[in-house]
Amino acid sequence: MSDSGRILLDVRDLRVQAGDRVILDGLSLTIRAGEVHAIMGPNGSGKSTLTGVLAGRPGLEVLSGSATYLGRDLLAMPPEQRAREGLFLAFQYPVEIPGVNNVYLLKASLNALRKHRGEPELDAFEFLNLVRAKLAGMRMDESLLNRGVNEGFSGGEKKRNEILQMSLLEPTLALLDETDSGLDIDALKLVAEGVNALRAPSRAIVLVTHYQRLLDYVVPDRVHVLAGGRIVRSGGRELAQELERRGYDWLRAGTAAA
Amino acid sequence: MNAATVLERIAASHAGLAPGLAGGPAWAERRQRALAALLGRGLPDRRDENWKYLDHARVAEYFFDAAPRVAVTPQQLKPHELPVTGARRLVLVDGRFDERLSDADGGDGLQIEDLGALLSRDPAAALARVRAPGEDADDRFALLADAFASGGVLIRAAEGAAPAEPLYLLHVSTAAAPATHQARVVIDVGAGAKLVLVEHFIALGAAAALGNLAAELRIGADAGMTHVRLHQHGWAAAQVETWVTRLAPGSRYDQHLFALGGRLVRSNLNLTLEGQGAECRLTGLFMADGERQVDLYTRIAHEGAATRTVQDFRGIAADRGRGAFNGRIVVHPSARGADASQQSRNLLLSPLAEINSRPQLEIHVDEVQCRHGATIGTLDPAQLFYLLSRGLDPDTARGLLTFAFCQDVIGRLPLPALRATVEALVAGALPDRELIRGLL
Repeated sequence: MSDSGRILLDVRDLRVQAGDRVILDGLSLTIRAGEVHAIMGPNGSGKSTLTGVLAGRPGLEVLSGSATYLGRDLLAMPPEQRAREGLFLAFQYPVEIPGVNNVYLLKASLNALRKHRGEPELDAFEFLNLVRAKLAGMRMDESLLNRGVNEGFSGGEKKRNEILQMSLLEPTLALLDETDSGLDIDALKLVAEGVNALRAPSRAIVLVTHYQRLLDYVVPDRVHVLAGGRIVRSGGRELAQELERRGYDWLRAGTAAA
Repeated sequence: MNAATVLERIAASHAGLAPGLAGGPAWAERRQRALAALLGRGLPDRRDENWKYLDHARVAEYFFDAAPRVAVTPQQLKPHELPVTGARRLVLVDGRFDERLSDADGGDGLQIEDLGALLSRDPAAALARVRAPGEDADDRFALLADAFASGGVLIRAAEGAAPAEPLYLLHVSTAAAPATHQARVVIDVGAGAKLVLVEHFIALGAAAALGNLAAELRIGADAGMTHVRLHQHGWAAAQVETWVTRLAPGSRYDQHLFALGGRLVRSNLNLTLEGQGAECRLTGLFMADGERQVDLYTRIAHEGAATRTVQDFRGIAADRGRGAFNGRIVVHPSARGADASQQSRNLLLSPLAEINSRPQLEIHVDEVQCRHGATIGTLDPAQLFYLLSRGLDPDTARGLLTFAFCQDVIGRLPLPALRATVEALVAGALPDRELIRGLL
């Protein structure tokens, strides 16, 4: 299907408002199959709004611009259709849903995607075997399956659960919104392993992060700096290291001067 | 039918029926007194604070003549029975105790008695065992039951008894034709005894039947009772129930109510924590969809010192359904150190549905801990988006979240097999049941 180099996502001059504030102000970004991108930026620069608008979070108003995913208008699709077309958002703050078992969600989700692709639903046995293998990979206890979605999970468990879902759903485009925040070093390595395992010529991964820590384990092809609602600089992985050394202020000064 | 016509109808029905009822002159007089009191006070109506959410015009359509005796076979019950392993089954058919279908032998410190038989055999003993309704404003339907008193069941757990298996009390409405049936349940849990009672209401037919249950429950000192109540009345049925429950010192009562059936349901619970340290934990869940109305009224009185209430009621209204929770907790001056918490959480799934929630605290003493809260809302948009972002279609996502709202109270059921059944029943009663069935 989608070979390395093919454009998966093309965002053009996107302006997005949340409440009465314009958060994204002319953002452009192109992501190709096989690539790992890191989007870095200070707090309030619009990182979560970007992942949110791409996944279809309610409450964000697109003022102008476009986002094309696999050649189609992403912004016109309802959120569930985006997910079924292979877009996955790992939430910065995974939502707790007491009363919905993790395993129900995983099953409903996987089967919704399979059905959309015209594949048969997995039977209970096949499904459980698959989930068990993925759980082991994330070193998560099987008892988590029968707990409410993210209910009472520690911060690290919630993030691992996002990666578990991602590895099960095998998205074409994965957006990870600050998945590294609040993780200790062991959990960070596990998350990185999960992400690296997903790297493939047909997929792309976007890591949205404040720090470059995760990028020591998941090496990006491209690094972008988001500030003031747009990409102000793009480069290779060395840009992340420079940001770590110098902070974000020099860039903001740079944009103001430019 | 207006209120006066309804009362005339009740009086006429009584005149035709009462002379044939068992119990001798003492009971004839008692029924007459109850009828006179009811006719004097009239049925509850909208002006009554505690009854204002009920559609009384609709209730008035349900006063039919008494149900004729209909034979029920064990095979008819089978598909409805709950998996209460090893339970001793007691069956009331249209309010009358059915000895053939019941397992009424003693043992384990339990004594089961057919009220109808006792009325014939020993009317004086029946008088002593069955309290006459008082002057309480919420006793009017109990007066109605008393005016036609003829059947029911008396259950007694001896002091210190702890039956190994639960009691399964099955209320069967035959509902072959429109009819009214009156039932009486009296339960005495002796001091130190432990009883688990699963009470289940089912309908065999689809006719509009009115079931009127008057029940008393007395829990002795340091005794404990777990009471599961599952309403699966027929879709055309109406049900009114009036419970008068008293807790002696150191006793504990846990109730799990699931109101999943009936076109019109009114449940009254009048519970008194009489003794020091008595404790009740009440969870409830109602579902009012279609054109259904469910109205739950509870009044909990703290009389003893250091008594405790934990109440968590949830309600769902969909389509044109109407639900009400009207709960009052009264802490008397004698109830120093009382602790009461009352929560009413409600979910509105359609713009035409309606829910009224009225938690009320009335506190007459210092040094108590009381909290209450009520919410009426729709599904959480953040949770909904999370599920959509995983590819679930909006209806399935809403169905799962609605189920989750219920799961919280279902999860507190103590019997695992029953929990699974109730889970399936609740899931099957939800608006999006077809969509989530395969997931549970």
